Amino acid sequence: MMADNSNMTIEAEAKLESPLLIRSKLLWRAFKENWSIFSKSKIGMVGLYIVVIFAVAGFIVYPILADTVWKTTSLNAMVSYNPVTGYDFLQTNPAPPSWAHLLGTDPLGRDVLAQLLYSTPREFMLGIVAALITVIIGTLIGTVAAYFGGALDTFFMRLADIVLLFPFIPFLIVISGMMQVDLLTLALIIGLLSGFGGITIVLRSQGLIIKSRPFIESAKVSGASDAYIIVNHIIPNVMPLSFLYMMFNVTGAIFSEAVLSFFGLLNIKMSWGLMIYTADTAGYIIGSNIWNYWWLWLPAGASITLLCGAFYFIGRGLDEVVNPRLRKR
Amino acid sequence: MMLKYIGNRILQIAILLVIYVAIVFFMLHAMPGGIKTLLISNPKLTPQAQEAIIRAFGLNQPLWLQFVDYMKNVFTLNLGISFSYYPTPVWNIIAERLPRTVLLFTVATLIAFFVGFASGKSLAWNRGKTTEYVSTVVGIITYTIFTPLLIFVVIWFFGSFLGIFPLNQFLNPDLWIHTRLNAQVIFLYILMTMLIIGAVMLVSYIMALRFSHKVRTRRMIFYLSTAISVIFSVFFWWVSPVGIYAADILWHMVLPVMTVTIISYAGNMLVMRDSMLETIKEDFITTARAKGLPDKVVRDKHAARTAMLPVVTNFVLSLGFVVSGGVITETLFSWPGMGMTLLDSTLAKDYPLAAGALIFTGIFVLIAHLVVDIVYAFLDPRIRY
Amino acid sequence: MRPILELRNLKMYYDTQAGEVKAADDVSFTLNEGESIGLVGESGCGKTSISMSIMKLLPENARIISGNIFFDGKDIVKLSNDEMNKIRWAGISMVFQAAMNSLNPVYRVGDQIIEAITTHEPNVTFEEARQRVANLYKLVGLDPERMDNYPHEYSGGMKQRAVIAMSLACNPKLIIADEPTTALDVIVQDTILRELEKVQKKLNMSMIYISHDIAVIAEVASRIAIMYAGKIVEMSDSVTIFKRPAHPYTVGLMSSFPSIRGEKKELVTIPGEPPNLLNAPDHCRFAPRCPFATDECWKSVPSYSEIETNHFVACFHPQNLKKRVSANV
Repeated sequence: MMADNSNMTIEAEAKLESPLLIRSKLLWRAFKENWSIFSKSKIGMVGLYIVVIFAVAGFIVYPILADTVWKTTSLNAMVSYNPVTGYDFLQTNPAPPSWAHLLGTDPLGRDVLAQLLYSTPREFMLGIVAALITVIIGTLIGTVAAYFGGALDTFFMRLADIVLLFPFIPFLIVISGMMQVDLLTLALIIGLLSGFGGITIVLRSQGLIIKSRPFIESAKVSGASDAYIIVNHIIPNVMPLSFLYMMFNVTGAIFSEAVLSFFGLLNIKMSWGLMIYTADTAGYIIGSNIWNYWWLWLPAGASITLLCGAFYFIGRGLDEVVNPRLRKR
Repeated sequence: MMLKYIGNRILQIAILLVIYVAIVFFMLHAMPGGIKTLLISNPKLTPQAQEAIIRAFGLNQPLWLQFVDYMKNVFTLNLGISFSYYPTPVWNIIAERLPRTVLLFTVATLIAFFVGFASGKSLAWNRGKTTEYVSTVVGIITYTIFTPLLIFVVIWFFGSFLGIFPLNQFLNPDLWIHTRLNAQVIFLYILMTMLIIGAVMLVSYIMALRFSHKVRTRRMIFYLSTAISVIFSVFFWWVSPVGIYAADILWHMVLPVMTVTIISYAGNMLVMRDSMLETIKEDFITTARAKGLPDKVVRDKHAARTAMLPVVTNFVLSLGFVVSGGVITETLFSWPGMGMTLLDSTLAKDYPLAAGALIFTGIFVLIAHLVVDIVYAFLDPRIRY
Repeated sequence: MRPILELRNLKMYYDTQAGEVKAADDVSFTLNEGESIGLVGESGCGKTSISMSIMKLLPENARIISGNIFFDGKDIVKLSNDEMNKIRWAGISMVFQAAMNSLNPVYRVGDQIIEAITTHEPNVTFEEARQRVANLYKLVGLDPERMDNYPHEYSGGMKQRAVIAMSLACNPKLIIADEPTTALDVIVQDTILRELEKVQKKLNMSMIYISHDIAVIAEVASRIAIMYAGKIVEMSDSVTIFKRPAHPYTVGLMSSFPSIRGEKKELVTIPGEPPNLLNAPDHCRFAPRCPFATDECWKSVPSYSEIETNHFVACFHPQNLKKRVSANV
């Protein structure tokens, strides 16, 4: 009876073992292994916690609060609170933190905490869209250059040299001064520009290592096409490294956005950088009395620093997964 | 061999430069209205002046001819006329401001390199101690901090709380109002003095290598000649009547330099730490220990010297990062260099100046890259041959 | 004949996360002036740990638990690092396992040798030191002109010769050659070994050869010590070891190397896996792989005793074995 039962389950399992399932099982196992290495890295875990806190605050806490607590402060109490237009005329502004406004209000009487939380999902969106574009372009170019070599390789590597040296922020400043740049356009520009940069060099050298492994040779012998080999064998193997660079790119993108909106160059309604810009242009950040109006710049500045830092921390943690040499023992 | 390598690098940089200008040109072309509108949209320009600009840049020609003309104009430093400083040509403004940025950057970068190198070295050497942990965390914080935030705090702390450094500006107007001296001239003299001291250091270093094989003698030759040149130039400025003005400029430079240093040292430190940790595991370090060399010699002469190479490479990669930090620093400290010019002209819709500033920022980065490449070749014998 | 080096019951353990690793467990031997000894064993049996203990170049997680190392009558286990620095290279020098990487890539090879000389003999002028290096270069068969070249301009064999020249720089009394020729091809290997032997005889130095290759050691060393799992299991002069091997492991080691002159024999591999030093058992460590193991071998550790003049073995059945071997021959 027992034996029968176990036989049946084995058969059932054998039937279910489609290639897709095997692949996903392998993926899951690789993920678990890498996770166990990553979770030992203190700095990486700190970064992950910070990112999770920001994500929860921005995606879950904000909509709830906007619909409940802050709704009453809205001019039109029927709709949920909007920190871009939600002026509070009942007091002198900027008001220091109070129970009504936990982080005070800005010079226009808008709730600072609401602004912070409102901007969080947008920062995530920007960082992740830009980094995804970068990583997709970088991975494709890097692996293709490694696989085919020759003129294609030389061309993309020289291009990467230039992009690497590009004075990035000055370039973005001039572009955004000449045309209207919103968040999505910015993500596109950053993603495209850095996609051709340093990431291709790193992924190409990793691709070259993988290309020399025997399983590539055997795939070729068994008649696999070039595209098939790149997609199914090389790209999955450079994935961890791509992922690592994605983290650093998220940092870069959020930082660039913050700098540009801090200078008031972006065509957006609200962001952490813009909050500091608003306070700065209204004259509340002057050397001697910065602490008098600390809630106008410190929460936003700290958020930028923390989120940028958190993604950077995750990157450093992943570095230990990808480069075994860095591990302690 | 060395000359061939340097020649090769210069050629490569020249090609990169042309491509860079091309990218800027096509970017300007793709902007709404195109280059023509950007260059002549200034209401102050008379129709004749507009006509002159169109002719100078060949703006009615087909695109590729425009491109050729633009390239020619860039390399003959003919960048158009600034809108906001009408009728000053763009090049005159850049020529005035570029040296200020170069000085700020060179000083800050050198300090950041040595601080990062030394601290990364001792971090790796003293691995596992509390100081290592603390300085790594501090380093990562200064590395990831949002630059304006850092500057607010620096300005408040040193300018207002301690009150020992001037808050912003390039110089103190109250002092300069009584003199007919040109700040630019004084500034160029300062730059020249620094160049002379640098040259003395370099020459004495090479001489020391040539003339002695004893480390102590070498060190003495180097330090002595550096000290003499520094003392001599301080004395020179002291007795000269314009010394006080130079001191004023330098005094205003302290905080911006400090800020750019803080922004960029941590990157060097972290790379040096990782690189040093890997180098320590190398076999030649075991050999050096086995030779009975004192720990300090093993650390400085063998481990640190070899571990430095990736730091130099990383420096090239971080140039863009430092430049963007520099733009913010210059703007917030009102240090009238290239970064501030770039931002101000963009905000004032002064497109010729913005484009010119962008091009020269790029040229500056490329030349810095070239210099680092040459330094690297001197440091790593494997490159030279 | 004066003893130059004496190891007395040396125990050197590593602390690892998995536990204590006994890399050298109760190792004793004596080396006389002008004599050469070979340490033979599989990789991971503790040969390099012994050489590192003699140089006192231990990794952070390693320590000498007990025992003495007498060099020239002085117990170096007790010396401080500064005192030890005086003995290193001037008294004991080393030819390293990986000569490829034991030269610093950024300094000229000659300068690296001169550095060793001037550190230990501060009165030697630069010119004198250069002259000495030139002589050493001639001694090991290198062109003195190559002194001013960098390591990357040397071939593998040249680097090995340079490293040997470096080890001779301060006229040491003892040289430890740790796998001096493993990375080289056979012909170069042979020349370099002969060179080493010649130099050793000429300068009347003591020498410790360390290798996994018993055939190589037998050519140059007058005495051979066979190591297994952190212990010396057999020691005698090389002729005796080859004629009358007493320990089953020695027999196995010798039959796993082909002989050119002798008759064609099938190469015998030693069954089983190399021992794990982590959990040292309280029985003969070779018992799991030994074809002659009896109950006795599984109960206690055999003592290290002299079975004939100057022939030491740690085995319960050495005589037994000798008969079988001689019967086979």
